[in-house]
Amino acid sequence: MIEAQALTKRYGDKTAVDGITFTVQPGKVTGFLGPNGAGKSTTMRMIMGLDRPTRGSVTVNGRPYEKFRSPLTEVGALLEAKAVHTGRSARNHLRALAATHGIPDKRVDEVIEMTGLQQVAKRRVGGFSLGMGQRLGIAVALLGDPRTLILDEPVNGLDPEGVLWVRNLVKYLASEGRTIFLSSHLMSEMALTADHLIVIGRGRIITDGPVDQVIAQATTTTVRVRSPHAARIAELVAGPGVTVASPEPGLLELHGIESPAVGEAAAREGLVLHELTPVRGSLEEAYMSLTSEAVEYHSSTVPGTHLDGPAAATAEEATR
Amino acid sequence: MTTTTTATRPVGSPAASTDAGRGVTFPRLLRSEQIKLWSVRSTPWVLGITALVIVGITALFSAVATSNTDPGPDAHTVGVQVLGPATQMAQLALAVIGVLTITGEYSTGMIRSSLTAAPRRTPVIWSKLVVLFLTVLVTAAVAVAVAIGIQALIVNGRGFSLDFGDAEVQRLLVGTVLYLATIGAFAFALGALLRHSAAALATVLGLLVVVENLFFIPWKPLSYIHPFLPSTAGLKLTYSDADIASLNDQMRGPDFTAWQGYGILVAWVVVLLACALWRLKKRDA
Repeated sequence: MIEAQALTKRYGDKTAVDGITFTVQPGKVTGFLGPNGAGKSTTMRMIMGLDRPTRGSVTVNGRPYEKFRSPLTEVGALLEAKAVHTGRSARNHLRALAATHGIPDKRVDEVIEMTGLQQVAKRRVGGFSLGMGQRLGIAVALLGDPRTLILDEPVNGLDPEGVLWVRNLVKYLASEGRTIFLSSHLMSEMALTADHLIVIGRGRIITDGPVDQVIAQATTTTVRVRSPHAARIAELVAGPGVTVASPEPGLLELHGIESPAVGEAAAREGLVLHELTPVRGSLEEAYMSLTSEAVEYHSSTVPGTHLDGPAAATAEEATR
Repeated sequence: MTTTTTATRPVGSPAASTDAGRGVTFPRLLRSEQIKLWSVRSTPWVLGITALVIVGITALFSAVATSNTDPGPDAHTVGVQVLGPATQMAQLALAVIGVLTITGEYSTGMIRSSLTAAPRRTPVIWSKLVVLFLTVLVTAAVAVAVAIGIQALIVNGRGFSLDFGDAEVQRLLVGTVLYLATIGAFAFALGALLRHSAAALATVLGLLVVVENLFFIPWKPLSYIHPFLPSTAGLKLTYSDADIASLNDQMRGPDFTAWQGYGILVAWVVVLLACALWRLKKRDA
């Protein structure tokens, strides 16, 4: 279990993490989601005792990280791939870290095999690809067989096989009752992997809850209707609180009404429907709507790629 | 600590059986630093070059220094004094390895892995220093022993043979080895403080080579500081008593004996290390 209390980190006059309080529960995968610069990595570095909090505190299993006698067997972390001396081989890197805890070389070879690094383990890390560096980082995190795992962007640079492997691994480890805290900006990956989400933006927690709940809160359900009588159906369902959009002829997108009501209305009139689909919001939409005002670094606007976010954010920036 | 282990667990359990003995201890950190030191290519290279320099240059100077002089009153130490030029050269190589041992971790990000494994932080620096110091000490001792052996072959019969029972000869031999290992520690401490390879190397080499020469500018205040420079002070341990006496005559400022001079070099190491440890403890990694 990871507990943060009013955790704050300032660099000069810039506040990276602004008094956040959260709990990461054991037995499930908790996703830590947020745009670039939101404070995800800073928070994780504070958990691992690398950055000192300006205020507040964070503990793992009730203790600050630096108080552990055997930290690698308590918490395994991948904070940034390639926190590795480039002149050393992957195996020697693991051996050096294992030696600090008296972890035998047998375990080093185990994690090498587990992460699929056998072929390159004797090569110098300087020549590793992004994905290989990532696998080595995960091998380091697993070295002490820890009760808590903290992974910052673990699937970054991994091939599809590696992505699937990480997903299954963290789910399995969580099912064993371990605490898994996983950051990512890949919403699709989070939707598949995480059970619980903590969304952060500009150093503050925007939302904290089970994945389904986060999505439901932040998105509205759309009902998609395809029918040769689209115009007629639009008239039938019209009413207070219902909005109707028609992106193309014969297709309607309805908000504020449930699909059974649409189907029943059509049946009463004897109208033919070719499609009637409730479209649940995606995590991506939820994320965009949640973080739209908390995006630190804006990309230039590309038409049609986002919801109402950028406009709101730009307006807010203008007032600053 | 309790660890539950099941047979099906893919992560396995390293040492479910040796669980009781796990955790960070200083001997384990020493072992880790030893693996780190010897698993980068620069270590065997630099130490090898250091040994070659000590043996090669000593042999060269033995041949030259004893070929056309008659044994004088200083003869009993001349055999060791020929180590001087080798020491001057070897210290530069050792400064490089001292600096890179720690700045290499900062420039590659390795330091964050090291500090995650040992989050109390300062033991990482201590264990590194101990391993580095002992490694350099052993290398220098072996190289000096070989050099003196070769030198004996060259000068035997010319009246310069060494009396190893002589206290001054012993001090010169031990002093050369100790000075070289301490210069490694000095460079390491500067590297730990500055955390940047280029900056630390420039500073160390500047202090050992460039600044020493600046002090030959005949300006009075400078000459009072001169005896306190790390290399000037520390090298006294490698000079014969007669040389130290004539050096003290030439220089203004306090006159230090061989061991006092070495003490000043150690003081440099201690102060730099204290600053580095304070910075490590206080600041973000």
